[in-house]
Amino acid sequence: MKLFGAVIVLLAATLFGFIQALQYARRPRQIRELLSVLQRLETEIVYGSTPLPAALAGVAAGAAEPIASLLRTVAEGLVRRPETPLREMWRLAAEQAWRRSALKLPEFEAFARLGTTLGLSDRADQAKHLRLAAAQLAAEQETARDEQKRYETMWRSLGVLVGALIVILMY
Amino acid sequence: MPEAIVSFMPATLQRILRPLWPEIGAELEEVRVRAERPLELRLAGGSRYVDAAGRMTAQPHEAYKPTRADCAAVLELLTNHSAYSYEAELKLGYITIPGGHRVGLAGRAVLEGGSVRLIRDIHCFNFRIAREVVGAAKPYLPSLLDSGERTVHHTLIVSPPQHGKTTFARDLARLLSAGEWPATSSAAWPGLKVGVVDERSELAACVQGVPRFDLGPRTDVFDGCPKAEGMMMLIRSMSPQVLVADELGRPEDAAAVREAIHAGIRVVATAHGTGADDVRRRPALRELLGEGAFRRIVTLRREPGKSLQGAVWDEQSRRLYATAAWPAAATATGVPAAYAPAHAAAKGAAPP
Repeated sequence: MKLFGAVIVLLAATLFGFIQALQYARRPRQIRELLSVLQRLETEIVYGSTPLPAALAGVAAGAAEPIASLLRTVAEGLVRRPETPLREMWRLAAEQAWRRSALKLPEFEAFARLGTTLGLSDRADQAKHLRLAAAQLAAEQETARDEQKRYETMWRSLGVLVGALIVILMY
Repeated sequence: MPEAIVSFMPATLQRILRPLWPEIGAELEEVRVRAERPLELRLAGGSRYVDAAGRMTAQPHEAYKPTRADCAAVLELLTNHSAYSYEAELKLGYITIPGGHRVGLAGRAVLEGGSVRLIRDIHCFNFRIAREVVGAAKPYLPSLLDSGERTVHHTLIVSPPQHGKTTFARDLARLLSAGEWPATSSAAWPGLKVGVVDERSELAACVQGVPRFDLGPRTDVFDGCPKAEGMMMLIRSMSPQVLVADELGRPEDAAAVREAIHAGIRVVATAHGTGADDVRRRPALRELLGEGAFRRIVTLRREPGKSLQGAVWDEQSRRLYATAAWPAAATATGVPAAYAPAHAAAKGAAPP
């Protein structure tokens, strides 16, 4: 019975370590996804002058989850409840998406700030805001990569080791 | 009509204005939304403010004052959350919404090379309610027709702003295009191909290229295009029989009108002024009138709350038609008095 418990503890700790490691691996990937979304949005806005609901829906079609559903939520919201300011819808949708992602607070700040200016000015100004958000995200991408390098393998082995430690203490 | 306007307002303003519509819908002319200043309605009978409970008042201090957030929301709704796709409209200072209503904008101008690139910080909105008066030009039509050619004479429509020029031109375009001829010998004429150059989107009130006003079944509209260029493009591409343009005034407009006339196309155009006297003071139009380019001149007036009044004059300054309430002695504001030096001799013989 004790042996069975020990195996469970060990497995749980290992799994926890792997999940933590996975988060570190996913964060830079998702920031890259955000960056490519911003780039496509910029093309739609600056070169296509596409109205925002259509632009967001178009970009969402080629994006990965959970960013795709974020954009789709905003696009649908703009059509269904046009009297709601975009920045509120944007922030709400971003909060939901962040909960389902490996993304952290600094990315959220940069992304949510974009929502306060998106669609409110001319193309040159929109391009400036989109590039600013992209620059902030790119900086976060660097830190995320550093952290990935530093913590990903650490968490992977740390999980097993902590599990082993608990098991040893139990005996 | 009202729903089209209210749907571009944020919830706060909708709550205030919606209960008022049934009462004022028919006489509403403008809704003015200005940030941190009283919410104003302009009715046929004058100006009224609206308080936060949706009651009309004459006192500005009792009125509801739209917040900056209200104004930001109005702009977001007007531009479909995409100001960048309305750059041309923001440069001109108005946006046309479904129903043909026009929303005027004022804010801070952003300049580039000395001219306005766009307006930002927009905090004044003027919702102007457009009314299509179907049949406005019908009584005038018999005196405008050229029965030999089975078409309309070259016609210049003259009136002060807000006195019905555009309404008249729009209805004339519709009548010619639909072939709604007066019930005489002309009744069997076919409708004409009409080309409309709608530089300020007032004649057709196009939304995404589709006219919101009825301009007739055989009408092509060039929306938002400079008149001179648009007229030439329509002549080349759409083979119109009649060209309709709003507000002639620049030298290149006159050149384009001349071009059209020599291409055998009938021209219907409008110009600001109380009569040909005013029009004559503008160089581009003086030349055209001097050449006798326009065979008919329509002068229009509209007193607040009354129906449209007008008269038709020929190039000899003779009055061919006038509505019942048109003042018989109105030659001074009408065309004849000093139509053109060449026609000064005809002055004495002018009005019946």
